[in-house]
Amino acid sequence: MIMDEDQVLIKKILEGKKSSFEELMKKYNRKIFGFIFRMVRDEEVAIELTQDFFIKIYGVLSRYNFEYKFSTWAYRICYNLVIDYVRKNQAQVDSLDDDTVTQKQLMDSANYVSEDGFENLAREELHNYIWKVVDCIPVKYRELILLRYIQGLKYDEIALVTDLPVGTVKNRIFKAKEILRTEIDKDGMFN
Amino acid sequence: MECLTSTKIQDYIEGTLNSVESAMVRDHLIVCAACKRKYNEYEILEKHLLQPVEIIPPAIIERRVLRELFPLLPSYTSIFALVAASFVLLVTGIYIYFDFANNSIIQALQLTSNTTSNWLASVIKVISTVFSAVYTVFEAVNRVLTLLLKVNLGAEVIGLMVFVLFTLLFYPLLKLAFRKLKG
Repeated sequence: MIMDEDQVLIKKILEGKKSSFEELMKKYNRKIFGFIFRMVRDEEVAIELTQDFFIKIYGVLSRYNFEYKFSTWAYRICYNLVIDYVRKNQAQVDSLDDDTVTQKQLMDSANYVSEDGFENLAREELHNYIWKVVDCIPVKYRELILLRYIQGLKYDEIALVTDLPVGTVKNRIFKAKEILRTEIDKDGMFN
Repeated sequence: MECLTSTKIQDYIEGTLNSVESAMVRDHLIVCAACKRKYNEYEILEKHLLQPVEIIPPAIIERRVLRELFPLLPSYTSIFALVAASFVLLVTGIYIYFDFANNSIIQALQLTSNTTSNWLASVIKVISTVFSAVYTVFEAVNRVLTLLLKVNLGAEVIGLMVFVLFTLLFYPLLKLAFRKLKG
């Protein structure tokens, strides 16, 4: 069987090579933390959950099936961990999930400086702004946008991770982008 | 043609429409300013989403995970190194105490094995053989060093050197064996 880079690392970890686990952790740390942080919007919680994720992964690694892609399997574990937290702490996570995302909310949390209103936003500022809007959309859309764009998963992979039908995944992502576009347009950020 | 839906525009951007539908969307975008604007906005959005703002995870995560999974307890190899070092000290101590240079301990062991039967005699014989071998090595090293340095080095020092050498030689083997055991 031909193994990819991740699977070679896993094989070494299962043989007892500690350094391979460190390597695997370094590889996924940013993506996992980025996903969790954007989902829970609390750094301390994100740190805790990222730790829990890696500890859990290490514990269940012997059950990993080499026929499947490691990243999809790992993201599924990560997704379940985060969703469990989100469900238990709905109030906290939903606090910003209003139907309308106000400019004030976004600008309060961004390191944003603009002298001429929003018309002369530099590309980087627009970029940060868009991602701030992402952080404010409802969880059911945000999770899919994050899986698609932070983790770089395809629709069918997202379906495997979330246990949703591929059609639902695609529709929700389209809907999420429609919400994003509308909000950004409403703020005149595209101009 | 009616204005394009958001889904249609997004499908067009993702390239999932068939050639006929794709051509229809393309033609519509030429004549409809409102849809063209919407299309441009989706394109800008897509471009920015494809380059997520990176969030750097704090270094503490890796440290905490490693500390949790691999606590800083002594490893098997270090325990073995410690045991080996203790053995060296113990044997050197015995050697000094019982005047090992005069071979008294080996003689004592041989006498014991003669008066003992079965497996215990075999064990004592093995121990006395090991001691004899070590003593022979010690004598040889002592002679060589005395010839080279023209000084009669203390038997204790040479004995210690022999055992340290022995430990160093066996350390990689022990390490390998225990790595397999841990795995």
